[in-house]
Amino acid sequence: MDTDDAMLIERSVRGRPDAFVEVVRRHDSAVHAFLARRAGRQAADDLLGEVWLRAFAARGGYDPARAGARPWLYGIARNVLRAHWSARPDPAGVAGRESADPWDEVVDRLDSAAQVQTLVSALRALPVTERDALLLVAWEQLTPAEAAVVLGVPQGTVRSRLHRARSALRPLLEET
Amino acid sequence: MTEHGDGLLRALGRVEPSRPAVLEAAREALWSAVAAEMLATRPPGDSRRGKAAGPEHEHRRRDGPGS
Repeated sequence: MDTDDAMLIERSVRGRPDAFVEVVRRHDSAVHAFLARRAGRQAADDLLGEVWLRAFAARGGYDPARAGARPWLYGIARNVLRAHWSARPDPAGVAGRESADPWDEVVDRLDSAAQVQTLVSALRALPVTERDALLLVAWEQLTPAEAAVVLGVPQGTVRSRLHRARSALRPLLEET
Repeated sequence: MTEHGDGLLRALGRVEPSRPAVLEAAREALWSAVAAEMLATRPPGDSRRGKAAGPEHEHRRRDGPGS
């Protein structure tokens, strides 16, 4: 990569806002997939533009020490998802989250449906903070340090959440 | 967690590739904000269309929405 994300963002802040579009080009598929995994394809289609607008507005606060912007963008996407869910008629999220949950359709495509159902149940039973940390590593292939940027918590906190999540899931997965 | 368990977890997060039209539409929203900022930051008395109006800008813009 000739120019890292931090340099492009810096350029976009200093009089060349169009430089930010290149950052978006690099990460748009990944951010869309991040949204789709958590809220389904339709919501991802609807929310992606909002992520870019928020990121563009917030770019002045980007930490230039971070060469790659993806964790920062996932953090913004996460906030957009939260706003999306909280704006639903059912703020408790029970009905709304279930109807937007993409897991059911994924389960249908997998062979080992019984094992997957067990896993889905176990994931749903995890505290949200632990599940978020686990899925950032398992789904987005982030390091714990990158997941910490997304979640806005220290790296050690992510590591302990990961440990607890894996400990909770291990017996269930070994039984199946 | 077992390797099998990790594989199941990854499979659960598998999604279809993003459609190009969706990505383009989202970029279009961004381009609107970029254009607004370029116009807003144009120096007083500058009659150009925008601060970054020039060959490089035009080249980039052709890759934007509507292309």
